[in-house]
Amino acid sequence: MNKKTRRNIHRAAKRTTFYIFVTGVVIAMLLPIYFVVSLSFLSTREAYRYPLPLLPELKIHYKMTHGERGYLLSVYDQIDKEYQTVMDTQDLDKMSVYMKSQLGAPMSVSEIQQQIARLDTEDPIYFTRRKNLLYNYQTFFQVAGTGQAVPALIRSLEICAMTIVISLFIGGMAGYAFARYYFKGRNALKFSVLFVRMFPGVAIAMPMVIILVNMGFYDQPIGLSLVYSVGSIALTIWITASIFMGIPISLEEAAQVFGATKIQTFIRITLPLALPGLAACAMYAFLGAWNETVAAIILTQFNPTFSVVVYQTVLGAVGQVNLAAAGGIVMALPAVLFTFFIRRYIHQMWGGVTV
Amino acid sequence: MTKTKKDWKKLGEKAVPYLLLLPVIIYYTAFWLHPVLVSIVGGFTDPAGHFTLQNFAMVIHDKGFVPALKNTSIIVIFSVTLEFIAALFLALLINRKFVGANFFLFLAMIPMALPSAAAGAMWITGLTAHGWVNSLLYYLGFLEKGKSIYWLAGSNTSLLALIIVIDAWQVIPSVMIILLAGLQNISEEMQEAGYVFGGDYFTVLRKITLPLLKPTIQTAVILRLISAIQIWLIVVILLGFSRMPVLVERIVYYHKVVHGLDISYQMATGYTIIVAAIVSLVSLAYLQVSGAFKRDREAEA
Repeated sequence: MNKKTRRNIHRAAKRTTFYIFVTGVVIAMLLPIYFVVSLSFLSTREAYRYPLPLLPELKIHYKMTHGERGYLLSVYDQIDKEYQTVMDTQDLDKMSVYMKSQLGAPMSVSEIQQQIARLDTEDPIYFTRRKNLLYNYQTFFQVAGTGQAVPALIRSLEICAMTIVISLFIGGMAGYAFARYYFKGRNALKFSVLFVRMFPGVAIAMPMVIILVNMGFYDQPIGLSLVYSVGSIALTIWITASIFMGIPISLEEAAQVFGATKIQTFIRITLPLALPGLAACAMYAFLGAWNETVAAIILTQFNPTFSVVVYQTVLGAVGQVNLAAAGGIVMALPAVLFTFFIRRYIHQMWGGVTV
Repeated sequence: MTKTKKDWKKLGEKAVPYLLLLPVIIYYTAFWLHPVLVSIVGGFTDPAGHFTLQNFAMVIHDKGFVPALKNTSIIVIFSVTLEFIAALFLALLINRKFVGANFFLFLAMIPMALPSAAAGAMWITGLTAHGWVNSLLYYLGFLEKGKSIYWLAGSNTSLLALIIVIDAWQVIPSVMIILLAGLQNISEEMQEAGYVFGGDYFTVLRKITLPLLKPTIQTAVILRLISAIQIWLIVVILLGFSRMPVLVERIVYYHKVVHGLDISYQMATGYTIIVAAIVSLVSLAYLQVSGAFKRDREAEA
């Protein structure tokens, strides 16, 4: 074996070790997430198995025969590889409800009766039903927060939209000022804004109770978006300032040479160039408003936000772990999605942290 | 006549940045400064409207105060240290270009991207006696069939450790990304120079890489401190109120759980001011580090 191949082998071994290491890190990061996602698709019966199944079943195999009290229903268990009795009853309504809520593979009473009719000719009978994988999600939206989940979701989206509008408008103007003008107190102002951003949200939310009650905005979406905008305006200022700095001033000057007014220049030249960055700001504002819980708990009473509904469901989750998991996933989905879209900006912000 | 017109125009030009800043200033006066002042005034007055320090005395004598302060400090100190060391270790190992690096960086952002309520859902479903954590341990062969570990029934120390580990899981990947970004800004020539002059890996790390990484490290650590001080939701979701008090949990507890009592508002306000003061001090340290107190001219340079 010559020196070159040995070096190649050495390098390959090193690279393999590296990739194994990276894979290990990825697994450690994603394993908990995998389990919740899987849990959110499990039927209640599966969710209370121990150890938990690694994958939800897609179909439920039923077996039915005559029992002591009526009809004996069994389901096939993938882990134990056998049929297990779940109920013995004459009450078909009860059986139908059980199939829906515990097994996630619903059958109507008349469908069950059709199967029972077959019992005359053969015993036991077997039949299979597709599982409704989204059952937990549907139930979550029906029951969470005593039916508050859907209105809360709409409310949260309203709050996010208002926060985006307020912070883009006010923050964008200030960002443009910081990028294009030199004035007294520029540095001090820019960092005061950062200080406001780092100030704990809970410390604004507490006194805001009284202020919002006086304004008539307590327990209203607008009240919360006023609080969330405090942080996201600051962030918007910092991001837009760096975006506008990145747009060459010579472009604006050229437009003005050709007779455009300042406002026309801004709308026709600067704004379109800044659009991707502004979209990132909007998503940041969305994330801030969507994820926040503590101010939302303090500032709402009968009109909770979606995060509060999830928090309440999770807090009482001892009875319904698969519902809590489904709620958590619904909560996490938009957050992860938007993070994906703005990952470049986040990297930049974290990378250029010295400012 | 024309001259004064010009003067006016010049003045107008000068006023533009201030006009652009006016909305922010008005907004922050109304919705930041105003609540902060309300809070401070509320903290130092009694229900009759006289100046008093009674509220803080009440907070300090609250039976949850000392545990809350202690638990919060322990969580902050240990989780930030653990997260920093682990993230630095990972960042040093991963600091190279590799196929799929971008995808890896995105995956690493997911834990941090999870809203705290979703993270709470994840861990409460995992840490019950028959949750997925025990199931995972069973599948990996660490637990016998039918046995389970009661994660949430442990002593105070083990619960603190649990919270710290959970927090670390969520935060390490993103701290790692920050440190990676910092590492990639360091020119390789400097490190190579270190090796040329006979330094081994650890000497170069200690004498060259880490000092150059210092600004990034400061930023990462301080930003982590700020959010670690405000930890509460995961604690409440896992353990409920009052079992393991932390500072922000006390605010929610007095505002939401025992509200209606005369003292609850004062208690919540007292805790709020304490949290705000601590976080503000740390924020000032951050501003100091990032050059906020330099004069305008220096900052531009």
